[in-house]
Amino acid sequence: MKHKLLSFSAACGIALCSNSAVAEGELHIYNWGNYTSPELIEKFEQQFDVEVTLDGYDSNETMLAKVQQGNTGYDIVVPGDYMIAIMIEQGLLEDIDANTMENFGNVDAKWVDVYWDPGREYSVPYQWGTTSFVVDSEVYSGDINTLGLIFDPPAELQGRINMLNDMNDVINAGLRYLGYPRCNSNEDELRELTALLLEAKTHWRTMDYSTIEKLTSGDVDLSQNWNGASMRARAQRPTLVYAYPKEGFTGWMDNVAVLKDAPNLENAKLFVNFIMDPENAALISNFARYANGIMGSEPFMDPEMTEAPEIVMPADAPAPDFVPPCDQSVVDFYNEIWTRLKQ
Amino acid sequence: MAKRYDLRRQTGFSQVAWFCIFMLYAPILLLVLFSFNDNRSVVKWTEFSFRWYTEAFANEGIRAAAVTSLKLALVASVFGTIFATMAALATTRTRPYRGMNLAYAVINQPLMIPEIVTAIASLSLFALIKQITGVTGIGYLMLAHTVFCIPFAYMPIRARLEDMTLTLEQAAADLYASPYRVFWEVTFPLLIPGIVSGAMLAFVVSLDDVIITLMVAGPGETTLPIFILGAIRRGITPEINAVSTILLAVSILFVAVFFLFQRRNKK
Repeated sequence: MKHKLLSFSAACGIALCSNSAVAEGELHIYNWGNYTSPELIEKFEQQFDVEVTLDGYDSNETMLAKVQQGNTGYDIVVPGDYMIAIMIEQGLLEDIDANTMENFGNVDAKWVDVYWDPGREYSVPYQWGTTSFVVDSEVYSGDINTLGLIFDPPAELQGRINMLNDMNDVINAGLRYLGYPRCNSNEDELRELTALLLEAKTHWRTMDYSTIEKLTSGDVDLSQNWNGASMRARAQRPTLVYAYPKEGFTGWMDNVAVLKDAPNLENAKLFVNFIMDPENAALISNFARYANGIMGSEPFMDPEMTEAPEIVMPADAPAPDFVPPCDQSVVDFYNEIWTRLKQ
Repeated sequence: MAKRYDLRRQTGFSQVAWFCIFMLYAPILLLVLFSFNDNRSVVKWTEFSFRWYTEAFANEGIRAAAVTSLKLALVASVFGTIFATMAALATTRTRPYRGMNLAYAVINQPLMIPEIVTAIASLSLFALIKQITGVTGIGYLMLAHTVFCIPFAYMPIRARLEDMTLTLEQAAADLYASPYRVFWEVTFPLLIPGIVSGAMLAFVVSLDDVIITLMVAGPGETTLPIFILGAIRRGITPEINAVSTILLAVSILFVAVFFLFQRRNKK
């Protein structure tokens, strides 16, 4: 029996566990599921004679949990903005001096000094988007670039509004409308916010994540929404317009970074530089359907995207607001407000 | 008390039953239905088509994930069933011994411990082993799957052994068959239906696992359920419906074989 077990584990060692030999010419990418252009990977493989494996995760937190344990075998990860900040702080990312790379000059200057990686030592932009709202321009023809449509809706939009079922998205929109800072723990301001939300809620029809279905089925005429989903909804309901409210709106960005002790560090650096090439960044956008933060990529993008006002922000729109994770005390306040709102 | 008591004639019985059946199966039926919809939407019907199945089969990520899933389920169900058979024999075909109940409990442990706890524990242990030995690869995932497949394979095998009387085995022993021959010529052939149903169940359980796989999987080890989970972040497309339908069909096939062999068990 002992002998059998031994030979079993030996067989395992040889047959099953050996595909990881630290050979040159490998790269292991761990990205959000269904978010990596197969064309991009193929091009990279051919150009550098590197074999790429690609795996998907479903949330920043799943990825973090695995990386924290170490020895994942992955080289490249693509965390969201706040997750980059957390991973740098915990020493999980390799300092690759991204800002000295050959293609770094292509990165749009507004994505260099970001709060999650000031000066871009560790990470470069992958895809970014915004969370605002869409309105049917046939139902409401006035100025749409104001959060007033959500919090003090005109008669034609009352009872025709869907909000995201997301605590931070709803509360941050309310705080922007009132002109108060994010991650707020000022009790007077929060009391005012609660009153605003409760009053506005009487005009809201639903609070739901399935925005595309709500809008295209004609269930609502305004919905808080992500820009990518808004573009897809517009394909089925052409009168929808994506708003860039003057009070501000949320931005997010996923960033490519290299894990500390990556088994294929040099290839990983090659990949980071590779995706800052405008042509390659466009490949990513054409697949994932978001903007990429690399200047000069538009000529290589599908016209459907470069003409989409949801993806390419108009020049006069305010800068997107990236909200870092708030302290626990603030989260507790928010939870209380959210519970009252959802009653 | 003239009428006979019949549960099915109680007020509201059929309403409750229909409600339960609806809640259990309506979502699945809807998912299958919309996988045949020739349209990007998963709520609006346009026309019947196999378009999304063609796209799913053409998607290299999905193909690779399917191969990984099958490889994993095959290894886990084969080894899981071998260990489960040995365990079932050791807990039924022996004189009761001290600690037999304990052994029984230990074997069934993966059924009782929350899966997320097992997942995180395995993740930490494997990370430690990788750090010490430097060995990586899909072997870890196969090991983890084999372990949680054992109790699922164990149940039907043990049930089969308990149904089999000792008469034939004792008769063989009386005729001077060695224990080795008794096992291979009497016990094992009689046990085959139990072993097959156990293996089928183990295969399906491995095929459908999400949480442990999500935590333990390394580079190039994405399974079909993990692929689906990752893909829905960008919205549920009919392609996902198509893949889910295929996964569902394979699971139903194996569970059907399981029940077929269970019925033979009873005969």
